[in-house]
Amino acid sequence: MAEIELKTAPADFRFPTTNQTRHCFTRYVEFHRCVAAKGDEAADCERFAKYYRALCPGEWVDKWNEQRENGTFPGPL
Amino acid sequence: MIESQRHSYHLVDPSPWPISGSLGALATTVGGVMYMHSFQGGATLLSLGLIFLLYTMFVWWRDVLRESTFEGHHTKVVQLGPRYGFILFIVSEVMFFFALFRASSHSSLAPTVEIGGIWPPKGIAVLDPWEIPFLNTLIPLSSGAAVTWAHHAILAGKEKRAVYALVATVSLALVFTGFQGMEYYQAPFTISDSIYGSTFFLATGFHGFHVIIGTIFSIICGIRQYLGHLTKEHHVGFEAAAWYWHFVDVVRLFLFVSIYWWGGI
Repeated sequence: MAEIELKTAPADFRFPTTNQTRHCFTRYVEFHRCVAAKGDEAADCERFAKYYRALCPGEWVDKWNEQRENGTFPGPL
Repeated sequence: MIESQRHSYHLVDPSPWPISGSLGALATTVGGVMYMHSFQGGATLLSLGLIFLLYTMFVWWRDVLRESTFEGHHTKVVQLGPRYGFILFIVSEVMFFFALFRASSHSSLAPTVEIGGIWPPKGIAVLDPWEIPFLNTLIPLSSGAAVTWAHHAILAGKEKRAVYALVATVSLALVFTGFQGMEYYQAPFTISDSIYGSTFFLATGFHGFHVIIGTIFSIICGIRQYLGHLTKEHHVGFEAAAWYWHFVDVVRLFLFVSIYWWGGI
């Protein structure tokens, strides 16, 4: 059986304090900006998705996805 | 100072106004709470309380004017009391406005993820600071210059000129309030539009309220100057109004720089 490698998002000097809420949010925004710029298939964007999935609670991601669909997402996409 | 008196302190006569003011304040607060919770008689008690308070303010100040201007009880040493008192009052006002500015900075320097981490929040069309807001910063500044002109006129004993200068001060204040009303009327956001609207209208609204208080204060000084109450040597009421006016002016400068200008970029 192949060994599964468990990794979280790397430390980011933009978010040095304990509360990682803004780190999670920024990675979510970065992923969607990346997809918007390079297209759905771009492999470069996958790492941002990994980071935000590691950092963000699932309910937040669900809520933000819903907001993006409704056009009410407040972040700088 | 009265001839038979061997000291320059003002020993006040017993007065009913402290207790009537306290009862008015009690009726106003209790009536206000009752009114806001839709209790029966709440509006009546609130109205009675406010009328009582306004009446107390009128008669108390009338008594102070009689004692100071007409009976001469406010000697140099007595004048120190209201001066220190008013300075402390302005210090407390500075702290009040500090809290409002802090609320605004707290929300805008590190905007939360709920508003997308950006300031102004998405969908808020901010006002151009170089239109009405800048003009409405220059107008109170000019009004502050006019009140200094009035001060110099009083010190020089030019009584008529002091009245003209106070008319200029008040006129500029009224123009300010008019423009501010126009700005509020035309603003593309309201107090309920996100934390931006909340902090904007809280800070600018309380400033506008203070401008109105300062305008009334200056009008009273103008009337008293016209009636000859203020002299070269004794014009504490005018000085307090001038200090207050400069304070309101400085608040406006900070509002312009931090909320209209910096907060709108």
